[in-house]
Amino acid sequence: MKIEVLKENLKKNLNHIERIVGKNLSLPILNNVLITTDDNFLSLTSTDLELATKVWILVKIIKKGKVIVPAKFLSMFISSLPNEKIIMEAREQNLYIECGSFKTQIQGYNPEEFPIIPEFKDREYLEIDNKKLYQGLFQVVDIASQSQNRPEISGIYFSFLKDQMKIVATDSFRLGEKSIHLEEPVKKEHAFILPQKSAREIMNILEDKEGAVKIFFSSNQILFELPMKEVAHPQIQITSRLIEGEYPNYQDIIPHTFKTSVVLKRDEFLNQIKTASLFSGKVNEVKVSISKEKQELEIFSASHDVGENTSRFAAKVEGDSIGVSFNYKFLMDGLLHIKSSEIVFDISKEEGPCILRPVGDSSYLYVVMPIKSM
Amino acid sequence: MDNNELWQSVLAQMQFHISKANFATWFQNTEIISKEDEKITISVPNAFSKEWLKNKYYKLILKTIHELNSSIKELEFIIKPQALKKFTEKEVKETQESEKIEVGQLKFEEFKVNKETNLNPKYTFESFVVGSFNELAYAASLSVSENIGNTYNPLFIYGGVGLGKTHLIQAIGNKINDNPKKKRVKYISSEKFVSNIVSGIRNHNIDVFKASLSSIDVLIIDDIQFLAGKDKTQEEFFHTFNSLYEKNKQIILSSDRPPNAIPELEERLRSRFEGGMITDISLPDYETRLAILKTKLQEKNLKLPEDVLEYIASNVKKNIRELEGALNSLLIYYKTNNTIPNLETTKRLLKNFVFSPFNVASYKKIVEIVSKFYNLDEKSLFNPTRRKEIVRPRQIAMFLLREELKYSFPAIARKFGGKDHTTVIYAYKKILQESEINNKLTEELNIIKQRVYSG
Repeated sequence: MKIEVLKENLKKNLNHIERIVGKNLSLPILNNVLITTDDNFLSLTSTDLELATKVWILVKIIKKGKVIVPAKFLSMFISSLPNEKIIMEAREQNLYIECGSFKTQIQGYNPEEFPIIPEFKDREYLEIDNKKLYQGLFQVVDIASQSQNRPEISGIYFSFLKDQMKIVATDSFRLGEKSIHLEEPVKKEHAFILPQKSAREIMNILEDKEGAVKIFFSSNQILFELPMKEVAHPQIQITSRLIEGEYPNYQDIIPHTFKTSVVLKRDEFLNQIKTASLFSGKVNEVKVSISKEKQELEIFSASHDVGENTSRFAAKVEGDSIGVSFNYKFLMDGLLHIKSSEIVFDISKEEGPCILRPVGDSSYLYVVMPIKSM
Repeated sequence: MDNNELWQSVLAQMQFHISKANFATWFQNTEIISKEDEKITISVPNAFSKEWLKNKYYKLILKTIHELNSSIKELEFIIKPQALKKFTEKEVKETQESEKIEVGQLKFEEFKVNKETNLNPKYTFESFVVGSFNELAYAASLSVSENIGNTYNPLFIYGGVGLGKTHLIQAIGNKINDNPKKKRVKYISSEKFVSNIVSGIRNHNIDVFKASLSSIDVLIIDDIQFLAGKDKTQEEFFHTFNSLYEKNKQIILSSDRPPNAIPELEERLRSRFEGGMITDISLPDYETRLAILKTKLQEKNLKLPEDVLEYIASNVKKNIRELEGALNSLLIYYKTNNTIPNLETTKRLLKNFVFSPFNVASYKKIVEIVSKFYNLDEKSLFNPTRRKEIVRPRQIAMFLLREELKYSFPAIARKFGGKDHTTVIYAYKKILQESEINNKLTEELNIIKQRVYSG
């Protein structure tokens, strides 16, 4: 293999693929990146056997071939090079690099040892705007359960029905749901659970990229593909395994009738909860009391070791006066994922699920369970 | 040689040809799942393993198998994702422990529910405390779970709120579901049943819902009294009931009152409910309340002083749910302050439970509940009429005012439009005497009392 590539171009693409390369002690071959020539492109591939990332770069190919070298090491080395044209050549498993005044040899391994990335036979796909997908994932990705004893809720649930796509995550204390309108309705109903790590990876690659991403379905894998701008060829492909199991019937937990409904200023609420959190003690409890008569919200927290704190601010209250306690972290997480200046805070009943959602935007909702009050 | 042995010997030989790391990575969780004439199908856990085995080791595996069984000429690999990891008892215990720490944080309880059966696995016979007030219901449930469809069909359990009806009927379902002989169990609340029928009618696909019910072996419906007055639902339910009953499928129902006390229930349904076994759960006595508290404490892995438990048991008597609520507030106190509550703190913490305004019977409440129970207007109770359907409830109301609130006879007489106090005495004595001989009346009185006290 012998090719010529611009340093910046190579560096950028190495960044995409090196993130999933970890320290894999049981199969050290996974610490490497596979570099191959593919028609007129140079392709870079990495995998951790759950997730595989493959990128294509337009380069000048002098001789076809392939080589594998340690990914992190290569990335570090390329970063240190001057911003010039790089000539890469593979000879007997090793990679020879020439750039400016540098002449380098990097020890490689047998490319045949590298795992084979599963191909997608089924070419059924749908397209979705990058920004929308990124934004949607951003609003739910952190909510997924960290505990592995319920694998099905440790991932992000995607469901496609008609012209609606829903992205959902929960850890059984709270739940986020984002609905995205699809330009083109799906013919068949689809649903899958994507591991949280894969979702983060996809977000990382989609960030600040224009255009649309293609999603290919298959029974136990999913493929996200970003096309190249210049030519009709994929630029990045992320293949991920899916989590087996059935996602719980999450719609059942979203309440539809409420005892109290409040419209309030997001920033004010967020700031006061932040302050209250300092006094919230071990159980992270802050008590939110809503008064219908005074049309205001009171936030109270107390801890034996620190002291106590009360703050209040005006809000539009409908329904009954009520007091509910929350883990402040859960409230803040919800508020941080909502960007509108005003939000709706719906309380179904004491010790029942509550909803936070932006005013005038029905595409996102955050359901949170309170703390049992004394 | 069976498939398992065959694959084991293949694996044994493969070890010699490839490195340990490769072996562990690619052959983990593989097995032969079928063998037909010349072809062997091997299941692998993921697509990576499939590609790798197919492209790299196909020849080697085939050669090894061929040596062991010369008829095999072809291999096929299919992906069989790993069944969700089964947790060892220790791991389960650990997660439960860690959950206990966050006793205050509420969860989406629905998530624990089994999607297919709708049963919540936390309800089991093991965690059900048996006392004199529920032993018959317990025994009947146990026998139903062991002998499905034959002993008591339908099984009808009734009793007040928070006494463990749902626990019991779900425990039956869970026990049947855990049985290796796969029986299809379905638990539906009446509310869900009604809403399914309504949406079925609206979307013109009621057959889908009906078909989903016709294939099950055990149907459990909770709070059947909510079917009262819903004629179309009753009709659908009647047909479902009949078709299951004819096939000897088990039906289990719960309600807050006996079938003959559910108003607006069609006669044909009522008689069917009465055709099996009807059993009740009443209020637990002091000893049982104490036993329940101790069981709950054990579940939560905590100890409380004996006098505290006795205080709770003797003061919180409305129902078991209330009992648990009282216990939970003590637990939260314990978690936040890290001290075990003593009798004084308990008294302070449980003020709400002990002196809850709902707990107290009042004149208004008795009249309201009696008239509601007999489907009368509150006003008509005070009508100076001698119509039998009104006289009887009026006498019962008088009886309860005397018995529960210790009103004087003249006071009661005044309340009922200036009747003579001897009329009240007569009513009181009549109901008292009759309740000693007439079981149905005792039953009715108990239900009314329960409702008066459970808010």
